[in-house]
This record gives sequence, C-alpha cells and structure tokens, in this order.
Amino acid sequence: MRHAALRPRLLAALLCALALAGCDEAPPAGSGAGFAGLGESAEGYTQARPGTPLNFPEDHGAHPDYRIEWWYLTANLEDDSGEPLGLQWTLFRQALAPPEETPPDARSAPGDWVADQLWMAHLAVSRGERHAVAERFARSHSADQSRDRAGQAGAVAHPFRAWLDDWQLATRVEDPDADTFERLRLTAFDGEDDARVGYRLDLTAEGPLVLHGNEGFSQKSADGQGSMYVSQPFWRVEGEVVLAGETHAVSGRGWLDREWSSQLLGPEQAGWDWFSLHLDDGHRLMAFQLRGGGEGGGDYRSGTWITPAGEPRALAPDELALTALDTSSVAGREVPTRWRLEVPAAELDLIVQAPHAERWMDTSVPYWEGEVIARDRESDERRGEGYLEMTGY
Amino acid sequence: MLDFRQVHKAYATPQGPLTVLDGVDLTLGAGESLALMGESGSGKSTLLHLAAGLDLPDAGEVRLAGRAISSLGEPDRARLRRETVGLVFQQFHLVPSLSVLDNLRLQARLAGVENPAWSAELIRRLGLAGMERRYPEQLSGGQQQRLAIGRALAPRPALLLADEPTGNLDEATAGEVLELLLELVRQTGGTLLMVTHSPRVAAPLDRCLMLSRGRLTPRNAAEASA
Amino acid sequence: MRVVLTTLLSHYRRHPGQLVMLLLGLWVASALWSGVQAINASARDSYARAEALFSTGLDRLERRDGETLTRDDFLALRLAGVPVSPLLEGTLEAADGARLTVIGIDPLTLPGDSGFATAGSTSELTGFLSPPWQTRLAPDLLAAFGLARAEAEGATPRLADGRPLPPLTLAPSLPPDTLVMDIAAAAALLESGERITRLVAAPGALAEAPAGLTLTRADVLVSPGQLTESFHLNLTALALLALVVGLFIVQAALGLALEQRLGMLRTLRALGVSGRALVAALALELLLLGLIGALAGIAGGVWLARVLLPDVAATLGSLYGAGVGAELRLPWHYWAGGVAVTLGGLLLAGSGVLWRAARLSVLGLGQAQAWRAGFRRQLGLMAAAGGVAALVGLALTAWLARLPPGEGLVAGFGLVAALLLTSALWLPPLLGVTLAGLTHLARRRPLAQWTLADLQLQLPRLSLAMMALLVALSANLGVSSMVGGFRLTFLEWLDQRLVADLYLRPPAEQFAVIDDWLAERPEVAERLATRRSEAPLLAIEPGGDEADDARERHLPVGLYGITPGETLTPSWPLAATRDGREAAWAAFRDGAAFVNEQLAVAEDIAPGDRLRLEAPGGEVRLEVAAIYPDYGNPRGEVLLAVPHLTERFGAPPGSLGIVLTAGDDGTALTEALADAFALGRDSVMDQREVKRIATGIFERTFTITRALNALTLGVAALALLASLLAQAGERRRRLAPLWALGVPRARLGQLQLAQLGGVALAVGLAAVPLGIAIAWGLVAVINVAAFGWRLPLHLFPGEILLTLATAVGVALAAAALPVLRLWRTPPRALLAEEAD
Repeated sequence: MRHAALRPRLLAALLCALALAGCDEAPPAGSGAGFAGLGESAEGYTQARPGTPLNFPEDHGAHPDYRIEWWYLTANLEDDSGEPLGLQWTLFRQALAPPEETPPDARSAPGDWVADQLWMAHLAVSRGERHAVAERFARSHSADQSRDRAGQAGAVAHPFRAWLDDWQLATRVEDPDADTFERLRLTAFDGEDDARVGYRLDLTAEGPLVLHGNEGFSQKSADGQGSMYVSQPFWRVEGEVVLAGETHAVSGRGWLDREWSSQLLGPEQAGWDWFSLHLDDGHRLMAFQLRGGGEGGGDYRSGTWITPAGEPRALAPDELALTALDTSSVAGREVPTRWRLEVPAAELDLIVQAPHAERWMDTSVPYWEGEVIARDRESDERRGEGYLEMTGY
Repeated sequence: MLDFRQVHKAYATPQGPLTVLDGVDLTLGAGESLALMGESGSGKSTLLHLAAGLDLPDAGEVRLAGRAISSLGEPDRARLRRETVGLVFQQFHLVPSLSVLDNLRLQARLAGVENPAWSAELIRRLGLAGMERRYPEQLSGGQQQRLAIGRALAPRPALLLADEPTGNLDEATAGEVLELLLELVRQTGGTLLMVTHSPRVAAPLDRCLMLSRGRLTPRNAAEASA
Repeated sequence: MRVVLTTLLSHYRRHPGQLVMLLLGLWVASALWSGVQAINASARDSYARAEALFSTGLDRLERRDGETLTRDDFLALRLAGVPVSPLLEGTLEAADGARLTVIGIDPLTLPGDSGFATAGSTSELTGFLSPPWQTRLAPDLLAAFGLARAEAEGATPRLADGRPLPPLTLAPSLPPDTLVMDIAAAAALLESGERITRLVAAPGALAEAPAGLTLTRADVLVSPGQLTESFHLNLTALALLALVVGLFIVQAALGLALEQRLGMLRTLRALGVSGRALVAALALELLLLGLIGALAGIAGGVWLARVLLPDVAATLGSLYGAGVGAELRLPWHYWAGGVAVTLGGLLLAGSGVLWRAARLSVLGLGQAQAWRAGFRRQLGLMAAAGGVAALVGLALTAWLARLPPGEGLVAGFGLVAALLLTSALWLPPLLGVTLAGLTHLARRRPLAQWTLADLQLQLPRLSLAMMALLVALSANLGVSSMVGGFRLTFLEWLDQRLVADLYLRPPAEQFAVIDDWLAERPEVAERLATRRSEAPLLAIEPGGDEADDARERHLPVGLYGITPGETLTPSWPLAATRDGREAAWAAFRDGAAFVNEQLAVAEDIAPGDRLRLEAPGGEVRLEVAAIYPDYGNPRGEVLLAVPHLTERFGAPPGSLGIVLTAGDDGTALTEALADAFALGRDSVMDQREVKRIATGIFERTFTITRALNALTLGVAALALLASLLAQAGERRRRLAPLWALGVPRARLGQLQLAQLGGVALAVGLAAVPLGIAIAWGLVAVINVAAFGWRLPLHLFPGEILLTLATAVGVALAAAALPVLRLWRTPPRALLAEEAD
C-alpha cells in the first residue's frame, strides 16, 4: 500500500488543478474529508478487508469496483559508465462513480465518450543532478468491453498490459498459457530533441510476488482502514533510458507495487514517508509511516521484511522506527532527505540518505520521490539502495 | 392727426389686472406738439405705443391719421407706422449691422419715400457729417440719439413719437438734441408727441398733459417747472 | 471663492437655456463617443475571450479527404504517442431561438495552458467529467434561457427541442454564445456518436501532420481581434467626429455665457476678485459642468451602445466570423476614459473662454467698439489656422502618395480630418466675405441690405454651429457616397461571381458519387466544383529575371479552387492581368494562379510575379496570371483551378455549383438530388438565396455606419438649434425696432428663415465638394488600407441633392422654433422687451 495515501491525494489535486486556475495547493489535510477526500465515504465501492482472497493473474488487472488503484514501478539502475540512474513509472486509476449493480453484460452501452474511470500516469528519470518528469491523463469506461485493448488507458490482467496512450507496461511472454507477468517491457517517452526523456526496459522477475500485511491486506491506520497491497520487488531491469536527448544503456533492480482500495485513510493523516530498499544481501525492505492516524494520534508505521527468497514478514508498528535526521531545501520546502531506519527484528540500524535532493515531482500535485542509499549506522558501510517517497511537505 | 376716445388698457399681472389707461381722451391736431408727463409706471409709454399702433386698446378707439388702428390688421398697422409715424426711443435702438447713413435712411427707404437731399441735410444738421460710414457703436451717446432722431425724421413722418428722447443724455447734450428735434419737427410740419418726465423738456412744447391714475389732466408747463 | 462661483453660476439661473445647451452639447458629444467606445470595448472583450478559448491558439488537425474524424482516429493517434485532443463543435437552439455554439472538450488531453484551465470556473473536474456533467457558459448567455444570474448555477434550462442542458456553471471568461461541456455530454446533445469535429494539439507539438490528416498551425488562424481592428478604427473615427461636432456646441455655449457675463466679471474684478481667482472659478465651473455632462454622456453612451450592439455584433459575425456578445461588458478603464475624454474636450473648448477671462480689462474701455475688430481678427485667425490644416493635409497627401498602396490607414484618417478641419475653419471667413459682398450688392434694397447686414452680425454666434453642420454634412455625404458606391460594386461583383443556378454542399464521402450523378442529368449544363485549403506563402518572386530579390514571407493564405469553365470565365471579374483576360484564363487552366486584391495590395503582388507556397509534397511555385477583386473577404487568397489545387495541395472537396440548361428552374433536380442521396432540403441552395444572404450581410455591415452618421448630423442640427435658441432673446430685441419702424412680424419671420436657409444652403454647397473629397479619401486611401480593396468612386446626384436639402431642412427646422416664438410673442411683450 505504499503510495496509498499519495496517489488519491494526487488525483484529488489533479481534479483541482484541471478545474481551476491557480489551485496549486491540495485541499488541506484534516479538513474532515481526510486526505484529499480519501476519508470520504466509499459507499457503493467494494471495501478492502482482511481475508479478501487474491487471485493471479486476475488481480494484475484493474479493479473498477474499488475506487482507487495503481501500478507503481521504481528502479535503481546503472549506465555503462557506472553512473547511477533512477526511474519511476506510475499508472493510476480512480473511479468517477461506483460500478453499477448489474453485471457488465446486462448493462446498457454507455454513451460515446462517457467515462467512469480516470487515469493518470507519471514518468520520471533522474541521473546526478538531473531530474525529468512528465505526466498524462486519460478516461475510459469500465463497461466499454470493446475498449479493453484499444482504449486510451487501461490495465488487462492476462496477457498483462497496463497503458496510457503510448506509455505501457506489458508482457514480453508470447505463450498465453504461461505467467505473462513474469517478463514485462516498460515503454514510455516524452518530449522532443533535448527535452526527450523516457525508457524502453525489459523487466524479468527473479522472485515471487510478495503480499504485504495480512495476506495482502495492508492496514493504514489504527482504526482499520487499509488497502490490498502486493509487490514484485525482484525485477532485474535492462534496456535503455533517454534523458536530455541522450540514450544510456542501463541495468539494475526494480520494484513494482500494486495496490487497490476504496477508503484508505483516517481524516487526520497528513503525509507520509515511504521506503523501498534493495539490500545488497538480497533482502528487501518496505517501510512507511503515515504522519497522524496512529494509536493516540501518533504516527502509524508499518512495513514488510522480505527474505531473498521472497518470504515476507509483516512488521508491526512497534517493530519499526523512522527518524528524520536532516532536511534539504527543495523547491522552496524543507524535506527530510537523511533518515535513521531501525528494524531491531532484522538487526537493522540504517542511515538512509538521498544522494541528490533535487527529486521534486513538479506534477499536478507535487511530491518528493527519489533514489536513496542505505548505510549501516555503525560502520557507515553501504548496505543497499532503493527509493524514498515523501508527501505533505 | 391723433385721436384717443375713452381708451382703456390693462395688463395682466400676477397680482391681478393692472389698469394703466382708464378712459383716456386725447386729440392732437396736425402740427401740434404735446408733452406727456407722469410718474414712472403711470402708463406714458403705453399711451405712446398705442399711438404708434404698436399695441391695441382694450376698449375705446385710437385713430391715427384718420384711421382706427383697431380696425387694421398687423400688416396695415405696420404700413401705417412705416409711412406716417416716426419713433424715437430712449435707448436709441439703432441697427448695429448698418452704417450711420444706412441707419438714418432705413425707415425712409422701407417706406419708399427716401429723399437723398433731405437725408444729406439731416446728416449735416445732426452733426453727423463725415461719420456716414461709421457704425452706431462707434458714435457717442449724443450722436447716437441724434442719429435715431434723424432716422425717425428721414421719411418726414406726419407724427413723431418720442419716448424720453433725452433721458440717456447729459444735460448740455440733452438741451442741444431737444432744440434740434423741435427745429426739425417744425421744419417738416409734423405733429409731435413726446413722453418726458422733465418739465424743462416739456416747456417748449405747445401743450402739456399729465397722466395720472390712468387719466389725463391738463397741466401748465410753466407751473410744473416752478 | 464660493461666492465668486455662486455669482458666476447665478447667470445660468437667469439663462437656463444656455445651461441646457451647454449640458446638451457635452451630453451628446460624450454620449456618441462613449457609446462607440463601449461597443469597441465590448467587442474587444469578446475577442479576448474567444482567443482564450481552444479554437484559437491550438494547432488543428482534420482529415485530408474531408471526412469526419472519429474517436477511433483520436485513440489511434494517442496510442501512437501523438498528443492530440478531440474537439466536438456544433450548434444547438435555445428555447428563445438563439443559436448556441456547443464545444465539447476532453479536459484530460486538452493542452494544459491553452484555455480550459483559465477559461474554466471553480467547480471540480469530476463534476465536469461525469454525469450529469456541467455546462459552462458566460453570464451573457443566461438571457437566452430566461435565467437570472442568481438562479443560474446548477439550473438545467431546456433547449428548443425540450432536452435539458447539463447543470450550468458560470464562467465569465468564456466567449459569448458558447457552451463548453465535456465531450461526452456534448456528443449526447448533438447526437454525434463517436464523430468529432477536429483534433487539436498544442502549438508546435507536432512536427508534421500524421498520415491522412492536414495540420493547420495556430498562427495561420487569424484572430478576430486583428481582422476587426480596421472596423473598430472606422467606428472610432466616426465617434471622434461626433465628439468634435458636440464640442462645437459646447464651445458656442461657453462663448455666449462668457460674453453675457463680461459685465459681471468686470464688476467682480472691480470688487476686488483677482484675475487668477476669477479664472480658477471659471475653470471650476467648467469642471463641474464637465463632470455632469460626462456622467450623463456615459449613461447615454451605454444606452446607445446597447441599442447598436446587436447590429455591430451581427456585422462582425457575418463579416469576420467574430463572435461578439450582445451584452455590454465594460472594463473600468472604459468609464475612466469616457470621463477623461469629455473633460479633456471641454477644457479644450473652454480654453478660449478662460484665456479671454484672464485677459479681461477691468475698465472695459472701448469694448463696444472692439467687437467688430475682434470678430475680424477671429476670422483672420481662423483663415490662418485653416491654412495650417490645409498644409498638413497637403503634406499627408504627399506622404501617402509615396507609401505603397494598402498602407497609411491612420494617415488616411489624418488626411480626411485635415480636409474637414480646413474646410470648417475657412467656412466663417468665406461666409463673412460673401456676406459683405452681398450686402454691398443689396445696398439699394433696404430690407435685403438689413437682412444681410444682420446676418453678418449673427455670424460670430452662428459660425460654430455652421462649422459643425458643414463637418456633419460632408462626412455624411462622403460616407453615403462610399457606401452607395460599395453597394453598387458589390452587387455587380456578386452577379459576376455567382453564375451557377444552384449551390450544393455534398458530404465529402458522397461528393464523387453526386458529381457523377449530376454529370448524367440532362438539365445540368455545367458543374462548377470548388475546393478550399490553406498553405503558407513562403516567398514572392517578382516577375522578370531578378529572382534573387525574392521577398521571403511566412504568411498563411487561403487557397480557393474554382472550375474555369465556359460559364464562369466570361463573368469572373479580374482587376489586373498581364496579357489580357484570354491569356490569363488560359494560363489559369494550365496551373497559373490568380490572387485576390487584398493579398496583392498587402504584399505588392503584380501579374507575372511568382509565389512559392508550402505544399504537402514540397514547395510549389505558381505564376500569378491576374488579380481579382474579392470584396468582403478579410483574408488574402490564392485562386487555382480545382484539378491543380487537388493535385498539388490535396484540398478536400467543397461545394458544387450547378449551371442549369436554359429554361430549367431546378426544382425537379433539387428534389431528385434530395431523394437519391438523402440530402436535406437545405443542402441545396438557390442562387437567389445566396445573393439574398450576401446582400443582407452587406446591408448590416453599414447599418452602424449609417446610424452614427445620422446621429452626427442630428448633433449638428442640435448645435444649430441650440445656438439659435441661445440668442433668441437678443434676436427679438434686435428685431423689435424694425417692427416698430413698420416691418410686419410675418415679414420679419420670413427674413429670419431666409437668413438661416441661405447660410445653410451655402454650407450645403460647400459640403458637396468636401463630401466628394472625403468619399475619395475613404475609397482610395482608407478602404484600401483597412480592407485591402479599392472601389471605383461613384457619385450620386440624389445624395448631393439630399445633402443640400438636409442642410436647408436642418437649418429651417432649427430656426422654426425661434421664429415661431417670435410669431407668437404678443406685440406688447415684444415691445416690453424692447422698451422696458
């Protein structure tokens, strides 16, 4: 559920940004409707609950009966010259209206152009000080079966394909009987000439899917709201990345988050700090804290410790400590870019730091998202790398 | 020449009708001269206007040169005035757009009776020689009044009506102008009716009448001046 | 100071007529001026709103074959990574019959900075995107639905066919007559299914048109603001004329009020008021009057604009396709500007008065004698100032003669202004000299002599009104000659251009079939196909051999294809050819181009020059064989034979003219066409209908010009009336002695009428050559610069006679009231004024 709170907030702000000039600020947190409306009633939608069974490949596709959903990929890469490179690609879906009660086959055809789903995609590439971002939007109708493969945006489980315009994350597996989610290709480009940015990457899964929380139900606040949250943190990534018109051959590791929900947050949750780390010993760590919404109004923390074989161990709020150590000034805000991350159960005491603070996502709603390096707090030895996302600053 | 028979004249005022002439009888024979005196507002000017056919009586009869003015239409009254009456006003009322000479002979020419020799003589006698091409506003007050007298006398009118002809002039000039007026009237053989409030001006005239409360009463000029 | 001011103002209590005249002058002058400015401001606001919308500022894509784009085209392009957005446009009928433009957009793909974000209002995108959707509209439009502003938000008014609109949301920055909604809602209302009108893209986002599509760059789409600039300049010039005429009245009234207060001013000086304080008090009085007049004028102007705006909006709509709201929208600077112009004009008109008051001699010696000399000096000054204006006019003429044709719009107006000013300034001296001469001639006829001499005396008072009358009359004659000439030329040109009997606009996909079908019909003598396209004009190469001084351009021009058959070629008007009509048409059939006069004038193109145009297959070089007149077209256009236009520029099929065999009325053909191809009855248009529409557009174009002209003439008549009324009392005192001397009142009245009628006739006679000169300036200089076409100068004896009759009529009408009052004044009262 890593970007659970962020994405809906982005969308709400997108609504705002498109609809009115100068609405730079997202609606204030704690306004009673929760984070950008995420606390508002999810009536008519399916609720994420503990015990909701997960089925694959079906659950790789869209869940229009849930209000919000995303496919979120980050990767820590290196180019030929050994220079580190980071990238992000996100496809976000929000339902404009609850699904109709009647089964899809029995529904009357929607009017032309009528939409019940809103889609948004983000693209980001970073290398050194450079950080390029693009975003796109689209609409679709969930009952418009004919558009499953030809709509402007969508996500189909099998064979897997998630896309918006010509940006897509799709299977490379040709045998339809195989698991088409095992090997994917990500293609997305934006801009011309010097401003060209994008990538064509092959993703190969080197481990199993990981279910977070309670068999895939990830709780987001002390009073029980949450989402369905699955990750594939074991991607081997190879291909080429274009930044500022220059092409780089790259390889490295990727992490894909899949999350869907209808009501994520309590009204008082104001922002979050989210880590996904590839440790050099083959472990993976997901950890987040939602600022507000914990027991007695404190922060709500959660995480998953993943073995190299892909066995998850959910981390309870008291098994995890996150401490901001140092802030950087980015885009006129003070953002904590140096953290202490403690997981005593895994004997981890890490300093997680962003080597480059300039990773501001200047999108419809701005947030910080960038590569981090983890070092042992005691020895200052490098322990791994990953991505950090921070909102609400 | 001029006959008033029981002439009544009243004006409507905000305070009700104001009777100005209340049964005036007056007869003026040819060649006679009459001074009409009275207080301000006593109706002297009204009587003069009736005499000139400029206004009509409410009741009674005004006969001018033998014709009852009430029986005449406006064009005929205008014609009668043009041909029979000479008018001299206190404020001169020269035509500013016309030269001295053209002003002098204006009425005579309107009446079609202009006599260039007489006009020239008038110019000379009135002391306006050499000023013929000037315009009225370029003359002094006395000169302007003399020009006005000349204009009235140029057609040799049978009746000369003068309303305070010297009222706007200083005493010396007034005497001079008056003398000239009487001399010229005498020379043309016309009848003179002059409104004045000055006994000294009235004195040289044949008769003098006093207008008071709408009625005329005879008055001895010598008495008045005493 | 207060005492001084009260004393000064007490004059107007005695002479309320002068105050009325002063305020009237200020009022009409500033009303006409601010009325036109209100129209201009309102129209500019509409343009700004239209330009802020999607239609302008975005590149457009349409199908090369002219067929309709659909959602599949949009999706295919998006999935291929081409950043296009669908736009659906259509018209709906409001319950009151108003035609509304509906624009359906997809806010998710519409280029972000192009308008929706700024044109939108504050409601959320979800509401916009999902049922029941939203209708965004400018508040101007609420009237069409009979809604008050307060109840507008969320209302769902019904259309003429009874269907409701999505709930309304007010967006004041949207253009008038435009509803913006989500494309899904628009598609439902327009029943357009998956069809869209066009695809749009951010300017320059596409390097080239995707296969099968034509790309029209945003910079090619001329904005209405540019097109209509000259039209608004024309209006402004007319308004300025009205302002000047109105200020004539003001100047006359102020002069009179000062003259009659000279004694009072001297008394005040004698009582110890300093000259400076006196001038300050007079200036304060001016300011006070100016404020009252300006406010009244602006109120009147707004009213006037409300009355005229629908016509202006219709004109701009039909002439330039520019949408202008019929509701006034006035920015703050309009109000401030209106007051400033009125006050400025008043101070200008009053400066003479202040100057005279400042130089006032306390003793006033020689004043009585001075007026005649003073007036002479004034006439001398006028003659000299007129001479200066004439020199300016000559200089402008010389300068204009050296400019290339089609330039110097402002100089052209300057020339006309100099002409008017010269004539106006020379009028009083000329009248003075003429009257002096006539007075001398009439010396043997006393009444005539008096009449003329008296008229001379009135001249100082009347001259300003007569100047105003001259200016108004000649402008009227000039403009009506221009419009009349334009009308003749335009109708003749329509006859020459509209040679087919029927005009048909087949759907693109049916064009070939219908064309073939028509070819078989016995009653069809000839088919005249047309096509249209656009292309950037890259360069103009002068004829002859010096290809090296080709003039580089990057100018969007329209391309128009016609069928140069036996019906069209004999009548199609050509303004200039190189080797005669026959050779020009022969060259045209072989692929040479004609260019319209607008383009030829603007770019200095002559027959024999070559044009380099950008075409889908690379650059195309075209020889210009002829120039043709193209009235009413705001754009430069290149004419080609249809086959060449199709082959080189891939132009889609357009309309089809059908020439019938002699004696056939086309009824059977129209019906057969409709039956065979399921065409609506209105897709076939009769030639007479086309002409009727074109003529209707033309008539509306000049409605506003005519209206303003008539109003200006009305103002001049008012100026005259006001001058006459202001001096009526004095006139009666002038006439009384004459009456006493035996001139009947009726005769005096006739003489007065004769005086004014005579002067007005003289003014009218002077206005005739002046009006013709103005018509020449409009036709030969201003129109060429403003619209790009030159008209032959037509003179209409009827108009000239009408001008003379108007002059005399206006004067007699203005004189009638004072004369009537003279006639109705009881003799005693006349005398009382004279003798009291």
